[in-house]
Amino acid sequence: MAQRPATDRLRRLLIVLPWLMEQGEVSVEEAAKRFSIGVDDLIRDLELVSMCGLPPYVDEMIDVFIDEGMIFVGIPRLFTRPLRLSEVEAFELLAAGRAAMQLPGADPDGSLARGLQKIAVGLGEDDTGLLVINPTPSMVKELTQAIEHRQRVRVRYQSSSDVEPVAREVEPFVAFSSQGNWYVHAHDVRSEGLRTFRVDRIESLDIVGDAEHVAPSSMPEPGTWFADADIERVTLRVGPRGRWVYERYPVDEVSVSDIDGWVTVCLPVTSEQWLARLLLRLGDSVEVVEPSAWSDVRSNAAEIVLRRYS
Amino acid sequence: MADRVERLTNLLALLLETRRPLTLHEIASELGGQYPDAGQARRAAFERDKASLRDIGIIISSETFGGDRAGEMGYWIDRSGFELPEIDLTEDEVRALQVALAATRPDSAIGEEALWKLGGAGGGVGGPVRMHLPELPSLPVLRAAVANRHPVQFVYAGMPRQLDPWGLLLRDGFWYVIGFDHDRNDRRTFRVDRCDGEISVDSSVQFDRPDDGVLAGALPTNPLLLGDEVPHEREALVHIARRRAWLVEREVGPERIRDRRDDGSVVVALPFTNEDALRSWVLGFLDDAELLEPSDVRQRLIEWLESVA
Repeated sequence: MAQRPATDRLRRLLIVLPWLMEQGEVSVEEAAKRFSIGVDDLIRDLELVSMCGLPPYVDEMIDVFIDEGMIFVGIPRLFTRPLRLSEVEAFELLAAGRAAMQLPGADPDGSLARGLQKIAVGLGEDDTGLLVINPTPSMVKELTQAIEHRQRVRVRYQSSSDVEPVAREVEPFVAFSSQGNWYVHAHDVRSEGLRTFRVDRIESLDIVGDAEHVAPSSMPEPGTWFADADIERVTLRVGPRGRWVYERYPVDEVSVSDIDGWVTVCLPVTSEQWLARLLLRLGDSVEVVEPSAWSDVRSNAAEIVLRRYS
Repeated sequence: MADRVERLTNLLALLLETRRPLTLHEIASELGGQYPDAGQARRAAFERDKASLRDIGIIISSETFGGDRAGEMGYWIDRSGFELPEIDLTEDEVRALQVALAATRPDSAIGEEALWKLGGAGGGVGGPVRMHLPELPSLPVLRAAVANRHPVQFVYAGMPRQLDPWGLLLRDGFWYVIGFDHDRNDRRTFRVDRCDGEISVDSSVQFDRPDDGVLAGALPTNPLLLGDEVPHEREALVHIARRRAWLVEREVGPERIRDRRDDGSVVVALPFTNEDALRSWVLGFLDDAELLEPSDVRQRLIEWLESVA
């Protein structure tokens, strides 16, 4: 088995040691599990540091020994405090925390807010108010309440293919945002299956009763949920002015750009209407490569819209 | 060969415990045989260890001696420079962070490690609502620069920029950095994902930030006003068919409705600076929207359609 890099092992040790010192004694298994490290790896690394020392070697630098599956740590001298949070870790925690503060149910005086404040102050990098995440739409709050109370709701939903919003009953499981849009995974009563809806296309929401279905154990993860679905694909050539397409929408793949900045993009298409809108907005910064059935979508849509302007 | 973790641990301990800076020669002799004897190989091994420690956040300080050891370097490690300051989180607070990470950064190894350092553990379970934060390698650097008020430099649209970063905003799935642009001598907003190359930070300078509230109005809620060039603002009138009227009213707000017609359609008045964004927004409704004014923009939209019809 390949050895883990020395820096990874040392970094992990410097996290594990202060915790062990606080515990005094703990089972190898518990420590290994907590820090997602193999039992054998943990034992080997702890035995190694227990042998570390400096002249004149009168006392152990790190007083740790392992006996019958238990780790015992003596009076600490070194490595009693964890490493500072790296820039990446600080961002990860603070951005996650500030984003979560925008979610329905977050309490501005609650434990998350207090924890974030302590971290920001403790790091000496108070960025309160300087890392701003856009608020969650009110429809997400209504959905969240329905999820928490396990309710079935009737929504008027504007799908990309219907002419007008259509009433349908759903049992929402989880609401999430991805690439700037909010979605909800829900059991759709009409089709008797799991469906994903865009929250901003829900015109209205009314509670109709208790939910009868439980959330499936696994739901498609955002970013991948298009990939799992049986959705048609289109392959496009997109010019430099159309880069927002692959910045904004989930795509299967983007080729390296050619010398003029054009790329080939393959992306899922939820409906022909949706594709028509996309192509019109791109104008001459796009060409449909395949399927050929869609090569007239842009010009047909342009003619229909032009009628309004004549 | 001895395990490199052992040498790194010993080096770390030695440089933490020493009361005075140590030369490489002294370090090697204290660590008895763990470094190569030959000068060049020893130097190379030491530099490699230095870099490894830096990778995990431990900086080896150095100074050049004077006097009879003039020119020689001495090394030590300042404990306060790498140890986590006391952040006394309650169990509730740790758990709240755990849940926050699960809701916004599921399966983040980095977040889990950060929680370990704070005395918590990963494995939080997200609730019924989750916000997935877009990741970009330059965000942590920018956040630290914002918090420490350090100026940054980067390339944007092919031009080098010098910016005092005032804050970071996440809006509609994109991260923006807002601040004072020294080249333009004015406030500017940049899409972080469009900043090219490395962001370089000048940590020798601390800029002054304007009073609170600069971020609140920094980014227009109306995407038609976005764009880093700021020509003058104009107003567009757009006719929206009945079946899309509710969507538009929710998006732009009832105060933008200029006219409600008997057939249920509406005319909305929209301030805009970015014509591309306006055209894109109107075309997104296909024939459910018609741009009425300004007439020059309407004319260019018609030409846009004719070129692809």
